[in-house]
Amino acid sequence: MGGYVVRRLLSLVPVLLVVAIVVFSIIHLTPGDPAAILLGEEANKAEIDDMKSKMGLDKPIYEQFGIWIWGVLSGNLGQSIFLHKPVTEAFFERLGPTLSLTVIAQAIGVALALLLGITAAKRRGTAIDQSVMSFSMLGISIPSFLLGSLLVMLFGVKLRCLPVAGYQPLSAGLWPHLKYLILPGIVLGVIQAALIARMTRSSILDVLSENFMKTAKAKGVKEKTIIYTHALRVSFIPILTVIGESFGGLVTGAAVIETLFNIPGVGQLIVNSISRRDYSVIQGSVLLVTVAYVFINLIVDLLYGLVDPRIRLSKK
Amino acid sequence: MATKPLLEVKDLKVSLATETGTVVAVDGVTFHVHAGETLGIVGESGCGKSVTAESILRLFDQEDVTYSGQVLYEGTDLLQLSDRQMESIRGNEISMIFQDPMSSLNPVQTIGKQIAESLKLHRGLSGKQARRAAVELLRLTGIPSPEQRVDEHPHEISGGMRQRVMIAIALACKPKLMIADEPTTALDVTIQAQILELIGHLQAETGMGVIMITHDLGVVAEICARVAVMYLGQVVEEAGVDDLFYRPQHPYTIGLMRSIPRIDGERNRKLHVIEGTVPSLRHVPAGCRFAPRCKYADERCLHREPPLNRTADGHAVRCWYPGIAPVEEEAHELGIFG
Amino acid sequence: MAAHSETVTAPTALRRRERRQLAVSRFLANRLLTFGAVILLVVVLLAAIAPVATPYGPLQIDPVNRLKGPSWQHLFGTDNFGRDVFTRAVYGLRISVAVGFAVTAIASLIGMIVGLLSACYSVLDAIFMRICDGLFAFPSILLAISIMAALGPHPGNVVIALSIIFIPSVARIIRSKALVVRELTYIEALHAQGASSWRIIWIHMAPNALSPLIIQSTYIFAVSILTEASLSFLGAGIPSPSPSLGNMLYDGKAVIYNAWWMTVFPGSFLLLVVLGLNLFGDGLRDVLDPRASRMKGGRRRGNKTSP
Repeated sequence: MGGYVVRRLLSLVPVLLVVAIVVFSIIHLTPGDPAAILLGEEANKAEIDDMKSKMGLDKPIYEQFGIWIWGVLSGNLGQSIFLHKPVTEAFFERLGPTLSLTVIAQAIGVALALLLGITAAKRRGTAIDQSVMSFSMLGISIPSFLLGSLLVMLFGVKLRCLPVAGYQPLSAGLWPHLKYLILPGIVLGVIQAALIARMTRSSILDVLSENFMKTAKAKGVKEKTIIYTHALRVSFIPILTVIGESFGGLVTGAAVIETLFNIPGVGQLIVNSISRRDYSVIQGSVLLVTVAYVFINLIVDLLYGLVDPRIRLSKK
Repeated sequence: MATKPLLEVKDLKVSLATETGTVVAVDGVTFHVHAGETLGIVGESGCGKSVTAESILRLFDQEDVTYSGQVLYEGTDLLQLSDRQMESIRGNEISMIFQDPMSSLNPVQTIGKQIAESLKLHRGLSGKQARRAAVELLRLTGIPSPEQRVDEHPHEISGGMRQRVMIAIALACKPKLMIADEPTTALDVTIQAQILELIGHLQAETGMGVIMITHDLGVVAEICARVAVMYLGQVVEEAGVDDLFYRPQHPYTIGLMRSIPRIDGERNRKLHVIEGTVPSLRHVPAGCRFAPRCKYADERCLHREPPLNRTADGHAVRCWYPGIAPVEEEAHELGIFG
Repeated sequence: MAAHSETVTAPTALRRRERRQLAVSRFLANRLLTFGAVILLVVVLLAAIAPVATPYGPLQIDPVNRLKGPSWQHLFGTDNFGRDVFTRAVYGLRISVAVGFAVTAIASLIGMIVGLLSACYSVLDAIFMRICDGLFAFPSILLAISIMAALGPHPGNVVIALSIIFIPSVARIIRSKALVVRELTYIEALHAQGASSWRIIWIHMAPNALSPLIIQSTYIFAVSILTEASLSFLGAGIPSPSPSLGNMLYDGKAVIYNAWWMTVFPGSFLLLVVLGLNLFGDGLRDVLDPRASRMKGGRRRGNKTSP
């Protein structure tokens, strides 16, 4: 297993290199001069040149990349022109709300998805199954900000029992912290659940039609127990894959939801930086989030081995 | 054999709901098995032999199966039992081995756990006791170093070993009846013999009844005491194994025997083939079901269905003209009886 | 010792559960397909007749009638500039469909070229697939946001950004299918006959790799519409005052407590078109490739329609 982990880590090197190149080239895709755009129309030539050398844009491109990547590797993602602080600092200040939001959303999503998926599989072909499938179809079709807006309307105007905007850190107490994250968490969670529930249902149904389910039944195992003791674990690999991939959806969903619910997280930081043309913040944040996403998927991959001994063997 | 049979199937009829409508997969099957006896059920694919086997344990989903007739196990009709009563029969009183040991074991559970499951369920053994019992069962089924094997997963052992594990699972609760549904079909020829030998050996030791379902007459000759030949959802002939091989009565049975290739036969001897193919269960022929493929069939065969007639010596045939087809010296030629 | 060359498949009845699932899914497939097709037809019709469907222009401001609720004059009400919400929603729908179509076409075409070339030339394969892996590593919206941040908000740039996102997934699908096709005997036979590789790739392999692409493209269509809306909602997509369902919802957000119609109607249009595409895609998949609907894991970006 150890050798396998090392090999998987090595295979990430080219991926991360491509990611770095893409992120680096963001600033160079800009039509025109980033320094001039940043300073606005009134800036004169001298100011622009000054900004250029400050941003390192006057050097040849490979040298710029070298400097940038060296900075990245040593933990320096540059300076935010707008916030006047290092990008890493700005990023990690904003990380807490995003982490809380994604954890809550994923918890809601996975719990709801397993519940719905298993129920639908057990009652396949019934009205319950069809409602779950319809719910899931709606869930993957609705944009998160529409669902969010509808909930804001409902809670902001009618129910008024939960705040619809803002954020309190965990240090302000658990309930004040959670209170602000429940609605955004539900929005993201429901959308996550829609996707995962579909996969849960279909992979359980796949397993139920396998021969060893008949063996279990012939042993005298109760049909209801069969689903939990035999079917669920075998069907967990595809479910796990979707859960792993859904972190990507969660991160992107967070950008939208943080903007909608005014949560000061990483997503909002990135979105706000677009209009401020704060390129180093966009580059740094996108890079960090993507690297995190890559590693989450690696962890999910490694978890397969724990769930399914067949994979453990083939990877030794 | 005057004692009451262990299992008595009487006029069993099984209808299954499928994509394109209901199909009567088993139509009026009758047979019995005594304790300590091995009954062979032979027939081609789709003749209903596996459906019969699975119907005894009621393994089909309730919503798409209708049974009629009786399956009397020690006098009680299994078809009338509640689900819970049925669960206490499965794996405990009657157990089953399936055709494909590759896919019939749970890939993510250790084989020990899979053997232990029914022991915990029916015997209330603790985890530790069940594990010890699993090791013993693995030893009994001839698996070397069972202490290590018990913690392995199905993909780590060979096909023959897996079938031994299936047998260990089936034997765990010392059932009185074991149903083996083509237990050797998916295995290599050398392994086939070992598995059959094992089943025969275990049966002699435990005195259980065995229903051996197979399409392979060689298997039947080797281990069965009595044989029922099935064709298109019906038993067409039933007799003691010697009786059947020496004096087959039904043209289908004779055809089956003649289609066995022989190692010691003349090179240029033409292999007999039964004309035509098995008709679909959706289009069951009127009259004798075998008539469209039978070269001796006449008007009566095409229009009137023959009953299963039993002679005094217990040989039963479903044919208007039993014994009409020439047997030649089939059984002798087969060399099955040495 | 086998008496017959009998196959070891269980009797027909034993595969009954699978068959029944198949039957159910086929039935659903037809229903999904027709349901999805009807929705899409309505959407396309609305988008097509947009200019004649309403007496107003999408940018026509009417300061007197600001934030008026739905009425016979303004079916969906008016927005904070007094613009007709129905008109803007229909034009927004038009842009959504146009962007979705353009992205699907471009991503499919380039993805197909990349995929086929990767399947046939190992050097290109190594390069292309590394690039695809890298692009795949990004959460999709973040990549789109980054590209949009660089290029600036403009419909054309949205198309470019979204195409870049979807090319890798098309390329992978085509490549894996093409690798299978390449091993088929008839392709080998063509080689033996001396057909040029170019001809083999485009005349013989490309059409064979198409069926998964057709299914995939409906999902790409749906996801690109959703992503465009998200980008516009975030101010990184189609810039105001051009109508887009996404930026209409953003405008609606500011007045959400007193003008629900500005959120609900454009939102319903968006939901309708994505739902239609997803239903259609599911139906198509079940009909074209019944086995793929049982496929595990599978599509990554294609079915992840939650930006």
